[in-house]
Amino acid sequence: MSANATPAGPITATGTASRNACGQAIAITVFSTIKWWGRLFLPVLFFLTRNFPKLTVTLRQLSFIHFARWAVVTKMPYNGPPQRKGRLRYPHMYFESNFNGGWEEYIDAFSHILANGMSAFWGSSYGFPKPLPTSPFKAYIQVNETEADHYYSAYPDATSTMIQRALVLDDKLAALQRRAKSMEPEAFAAAYRAFLTDVQHCI
Amino acid sequence: MGKSTNVSGQAYAFMAMTPVKPGEEEALATYLRGLRDAGPSPFARVARTHLARFVIVPDFHNDRTWGQRKEEHLEVPYLIFTSNFDGDLDSYLDELCKALGPETEQIWGRCIGCPENASGATLKRYLKHNQIDTGIFFAAYGTAPIGKVKQALAHREQVMEFARTSQGLEAAALQKAFLAQFGGND
Repeated sequence: MSANATPAGPITATGTASRNACGQAIAITVFSTIKWWGRLFLPVLFFLTRNFPKLTVTLRQLSFIHFARWAVVTKMPYNGPPQRKGRLRYPHMYFESNFNGGWEEYIDAFSHILANGMSAFWGSSYGFPKPLPTSPFKAYIQVNETEADHYYSAYPDATSTMIQRALVLDDKLAALQRRAKSMEPEAFAAAYRAFLTDVQHCI
Repeated sequence: MGKSTNVSGQAYAFMAMTPVKPGEEEALATYLRGLRDAGPSPFARVARTHLARFVIVPDFHNDRTWGQRKEEHLEVPYLIFTSNFDGDLDSYLDELCKALGPETEQIWGRCIGCPENASGATLKRYLKHNQIDTGIFFAAYGTAPIGKVKQALAHREQVMEFARTSQGLEAAALQKAFLAQFGGND
């Protein structure tokens, strides 16, 4: 499977509840319970991932993700009874993603392209079945997933791919705009054709 | 001070987990699920918000076959609020707490510890108290604020339209049309 397999144009969200969708944007929200050693391992993994951007190159190639996050929850902030004070018995990992496309395709892409990354992130979670084959992994995500009660996107018609390509196009358009007025017509026409060729993959 | 783990580029990942008052879960869920049919999302009034969600988590999942020695349950359901937005947290929460005025009581008013009729600084303090820090925040276009994203999407449409309508124009006419459509910066 290609890392850039998701088309830039609109596609229909499939495989998830309608409350997890806002136009093209799809929400996934997952909690998993972490084994004792994950409490030590995950902060190190997070630190390395944050500080060595090469580790996220593959994640960046999954161009259908807008925003994603992982957090380890070890205690709940105390707000008074009937909450219990203190730490949770186990740490829990929160994962959310904002992406576009089908739910199954999303998990498939994660499993095939980021197999090592998935094992690193979820390997310390109870019940994690390894990313491949994908069916047990999908079942694992499903039982740990919670449906959104309200989900919002500021640009529901746009996919992440569309946005990333539009930003590239916009920079190149600005460069042409800067030169356009002072150019001779023939030189402008040549520059415009070169611009169109250059941004063909963005439109 | 090091860079916050909640930040990627200029984008910020905020998350608050607030305990829902016993007996209020159903009413809260009904209210949140009804927001979509009630008109534009309240988050549309907070211009720096890219993507945001409310999720009620009823409990942790426990499975004996997974080797977990003891079960763990939430004593009450929790409301998760997350937002991916532009800029710093303090000014964003100021804007959010002001803009969500009418909805506040219906949402966090159903959560334990939220002061009655909380708004403005009181609500901001409550949300910050319940903040959960992010470990890893991935933002595909974290350097682009929402205004730039919307402008780029609009320009993309305009370029596609211009490419279609300008076919066959002579060089001088093409340049004139381009300048009329997109302007020219000296």
